[in-house]
Amino acid sequence: MKRTLTKIIPFLVMASFLATGCTQENTQAAKAAKPAVEQVAKKNVYKGSVVGKSNKAKSISIKVGKGAEAKTIMVAFDDNTKGVDHATVGHASIINYEMRNGKPYATVIKPKLAKLPEGVTEIKTEDLAEMIESGKKFTLIDSRPSGRYAAGSLPTAKNITVAKMKETKGAGILPENKNELVVFFCGGPT
Amino acid sequence: MSTSSAGLAKKAGYTNVRVYLDGEPHWVKDEYPVYASNKFVATGNIVLIDLRSAAKSAAGRIPRSVSIAYDDLEDRIEDIPKKAPIVLYSDNAEEAEDGISDLRYEGFKKVSLVKGNIQGWTKSGGAIEKGPVVTDIKWIRKLGKGEVALASFNKAASGQDAGAIVLDVRTKDEVSGGKFKNAVAIPLDELGSRLSELPKDKKIYVHCTSGARADMAAQELNKNGFKASFLIANVNCEGNDCTVED
Repeated sequence: MKRTLTKIIPFLVMASFLATGCTQENTQAAKAAKPAVEQVAKKNVYKGSVVGKSNKAKSISIKVGKGAEAKTIMVAFDDNTKGVDHATVGHASIINYEMRNGKPYATVIKPKLAKLPEGVTEIKTEDLAEMIESGKKFTLIDSRPSGRYAAGSLPTAKNITVAKMKETKGAGILPENKNELVVFFCGGPT
Repeated sequence: MSTSSAGLAKKAGYTNVRVYLDGEPHWVKDEYPVYASNKFVATGNIVLIDLRSAAKSAAGRIPRSVSIAYDDLEDRIEDIPKKAPIVLYSDNAEEAEDGISDLRYEGFKKVSLVKGNIQGWTKSGGAIEKGPVVTDIKWIRKLGKGEVALASFNKAASGQDAGAIVLDVRTKDEVSGGKFKNAVAIPLDELGSRLSELPKDKKIYVHCTSGARADMAAQELNKNGFKASFLIANVNCEGNDCTVED
């Protein structure tokens, strides 16, 4: 099945090179939720995107807060830390920690799971691949930054970054008929 | 992320919206091919490989292509830089997809295909170049944000740059096996409490064994008003004899 994917005539959409990310686009929402972030910090939880991880130094860097409020925190972990594998660079994590000698130590690490908006359903790889292969009429949208899209995306996918989506509502790319299927994807749960 | 976009589409009145939550990484993990944009093929810092025969490549190819016929791919695998984004094409979909599978299997992480192969390229009005084929791969990795160039690092490590110091953030255990003669050694997890040992008026080039910890350390230092950059390279030290490999 995989061998026949290129049968589909590819769309030759040039990337618009407006940089915004899968992980960075929630600036406004995060600003509005500022009090909540402070509250969270008191409960000894860091939520954010993992920007660095070293197994040798047993340390994770996590970026918490957004925009001007953003800061990177180094959290140590040890053999008792649960779920260390859930901390992967570029993905969102929730790190419970405790202070030891003035330094944060991770106790439990969980992946931050994406929530689907109401009325939106998930699609899995196999079903998506089958839909692309069969030439089913639908619109596939890559929400990642244009540079990532340009370097390699799914067959038939077009690029609308989240910022662009906010600005244009997908005009010119999303189908005119609003009852047609539209599938969005990005760089995985972030 | 994609869920925000899906929400926006829903709000804009689209009734049939789905999200492929696993996303592109999962697509690649499940061994499906990905396709580069034509602009990336034309101008990206890539290694572009023409998998067709040398004769076909000579008769007309995408500009900047290197000719490696599919049958020779295995023999030439060592010549292809592991860190480079690789874009493949052929005139045969199966061959291109075999190429991407083979390279991924060999550990190449950034491999994509030209949309519609050479036929798709031509059809979309892409430029074609003719003449003797190119077989040498010339690719130079561009420095990422906050990275120090190997040449600058080496100069500082050998004590020839008075304006820069080398900071080694490996663990004490690792450092006990050897370190650069001129390097200051502070393990990453002690860095926060030992900032006063470092100068603010000099450039600080941070290294570890690969670059992951150095990157974290440099971010931490820059946050505190230092002028730090990090080295992405494999560093191995025995005594004061260190080897650095890009």
